[in-house]
Amino acid sequence: MTNLSRRDFLKLARDGFLWLSGALALGGLLRFLDYEPNPAPKTEFDLGPADQYPLGSRTLLTDPPAVLLHTESGFSALSLVCTHLGCTVEQNADGFICPCHGSRFDADGNVTHRPADKPLHSLRVEITPQNTLRLRLD
Amino acid sequence: MRPSFFHHLHPPAIPAAQARWRHTLGAGGTAVFLMLLLGVTGILEMFYYVPNPEEAALSVQTLTYHVPFGGFIRNLHYWSAQLLLIVSAVHLLRVIFTAAYKYPRRFNYLLGLGLFVLAVMLDFTGYILRWDQGICWPLTTGTNLIKTIPLIGGFLFRLAVGGGDACQTALTRFYTWHIFALTLPVVVLGVWHAFRVRRDGGIATPPARLFLDRTRIPRDELVRREAAAMFIVGILLILLSVFFPAPIAPAMIDKPSLNAETRAPWFFLWVQQMLKWGDPFIFGVLIPLGILTLLALIPYIFPQPADSDIGRWFPKSNRLAQVVVTVIAIFVIILTLINT
Repeated sequence: MTNLSRRDFLKLARDGFLWLSGALALGGLLRFLDYEPNPAPKTEFDLGPADQYPLGSRTLLTDPPAVLLHTESGFSALSLVCTHLGCTVEQNADGFICPCHGSRFDADGNVTHRPADKPLHSLRVEITPQNTLRLRLD
Repeated sequence: MRPSFFHHLHPPAIPAAQARWRHTLGAGGTAVFLMLLLGVTGILEMFYYVPNPEEAALSVQTLTYHVPFGGFIRNLHYWSAQLLLIVSAVHLLRVIFTAAYKYPRRFNYLLGLGLFVLAVMLDFTGYILRWDQGICWPLTTGTNLIKTIPLIGGFLFRLAVGGGDACQTALTRFYTWHIFALTLPVVVLGVWHAFRVRRDGGIATPPARLFLDRTRIPRDELVRREAAAMFIVGILLILLSVFFPAPIAPAMIDKPSLNAETRAPWFFLWVQQMLKWGDPFIFGVLIPLGILTLLALIPYIFPQPADSDIGRWFPKSNRLAQVVVTVIAIFVIILTLINT
């Protein structure tokens, strides 16, 4: 360091400042682009009066894509969003099939054919004090 | 004849060997013509396109069915974009098969590869701008694929889409990417690419000391040949646009209906086929990026072609690169055909 000339020092300082401002500007740009302007997608859905869905029924919902089941043990729901890459699976005789990449699930949502490797998510269904159903995605 | 501006874009004379169809296939020049056409037709489409999730698909329908020549302009834009991918791929194959990428041209080879990637991204974002029932699943799977990248996936997803559910929100960002944020880099890289062709001594031919054919052609002749190529490609585009309209589907209402399109656009059919095999990160991200990296490394780590082989078709000294690129091309074509 002792033989760093004045010229070299100034050059180093200039380059250092240029790189630093470039890095700061890039960081600012990335933060600028990282903002989410859209409201987060809905996670709660009102499904209306519970007695609309009699015991033993199996109802296809479109928003959110899910199947609502009413069994002896109460209400439950199975998400129809494929766990592979997010297309909506379609119902068939044995369960569900994804139209995008051919994953298959049985009627309980367990994987029977790749590429998906996780079962369909089960969703929470709550009965409100007004005896209506509320579906939660989280 | 007093040279015009267009003549001045060319050197006064170039070696005849550099301008032979059987050597260049006219692919690079055709790509320039297609890009100009895409710019012009794209600006015309912008006069009618409404980049708003509620109105986008309807504005495309207005453009296609009501505006005089609107459908024709849209078809020209569509077919120029599809043709650009094919012509760029042919250009890439020509450069490999004639060993044209050797130093000092290897940097320009990378610029060209970058342009090819940008062209694919522009094709995909343009396809999404239809914002009708045909685009939701390809958009969902394509952007969910970004999320599978470890550590930075979530950030890249927000960068591309702006967060939320892509089928509801991606339009604003995809519009900006398509119109400006990808197009401007194409203009910069494209001009740089063309500049480097001249700076590196024109289209690759063996060095002068090994080269017997010293005939040259004046730029008049070069411009004439370019005009001929543009004329032929222009006729082809007009025929395609008149007889095969660009795809369009009913507007998206909330979520796509059950009969919505689930197939990827044709240039991603091979990736969609691989995604059926398993882990999305491996098959949808790592393998395509691996192929791209392999292509980028050809001028750097593969055995170098001999000087006397530069600019000759299928020379012995770069056999390995030829074989690798041929295998990649066959792999992509077979996967595409399986998924068709």
